[in-house]
Amino acid sequence: MQRRSFLKNIAAAMAATAVVPHVSMAADAKPKGPNEFSLKEAVAAITGGKPLQTSPKIKLKAPEIAENGAVVPVKVDVDSAMTDAEHVQAIYVLATKNNNVRCAYVHLTPANGQATFGTRVKLGGTQDVLAIAKMSDGSFISASQNVKVTIGGCG
Amino acid sequence: MATKALIKIKPKKYAVGEIVKIDFMVMHPMETGLRKDKAGALIPAEYINDVKFFFNDKLVTHMEVWESLSTNPLFSTSYKIAGAGEFKVIFTDNKGGVNEQSTKITPKG
Repeated sequence: MQRRSFLKNIAAAMAATAVVPHVSMAADAKPKGPNEFSLKEAVAAITGGKPLQTSPKIKLKAPEIAENGAVVPVKVDVDSAMTDAEHVQAIYVLATKNNNVRCAYVHLTPANGQATFGTRVKLGGTQDVLAIAKMSDGSFISASQNVKVTIGGCG
Repeated sequence: MATKALIKIKPKKYAVGEIVKIDFMVMHPMETGLRKDKAGALIPAEYINDVKFFFNDKLVTHMEVWESLSTNPLFSTSYKIAGAGEFKVIFTDNKGGVNEQSTKITPKG
């Protein structure tokens, strides 16, 4: 009997420890960011319902594995002549699973000479980085890349 | 927001008509508003939300950015040298802090 009650006690203790962190997690739910913004909203706001095309013209450079999610270099190159008639109007960089997916919206002009934009972003976890380019003819092209994050950079 | 900002042009020597790479760097905490301090209180969000890049007071590139950028953010873009003049970049943060940085350029040839 002693052995049995001992086992019962252990089982009860294990159940208690299993429940406690669960409860504290629920009470400590992630706070909502001041600018929480979903990917759907962001893409709809950018394209206005137009389809996104994948194209070899847009190149997104980001590391496949990021050791530190707080500093992830991202570079977007769009192949364009950047003349008044045909240029890239804007480059959008989105982190698809961040609290606020918007990272940078860059409005370019033909004076840039080349459609490039680079920055460093924070990623909260493993996710896709999406780059969208708005061309002067009104079409949208996009590219995305998955970045594996070992340590998150947000929150 | 009296912090340090930098404009870097690569390569260092350039001629009219050449496309150069321009980097803007600014020292800024870029707080997301999600982090907590040691006492458990939320640290209010503080991030750069607008970067404007001018050449001779003409807007070349306008960047709208959010808190998802790293601390001490870097912005790089390109520019086709049109002649001598002045680059100016204005960083604005969500608390209204403004940081202005400018540099003169003299292309060769």
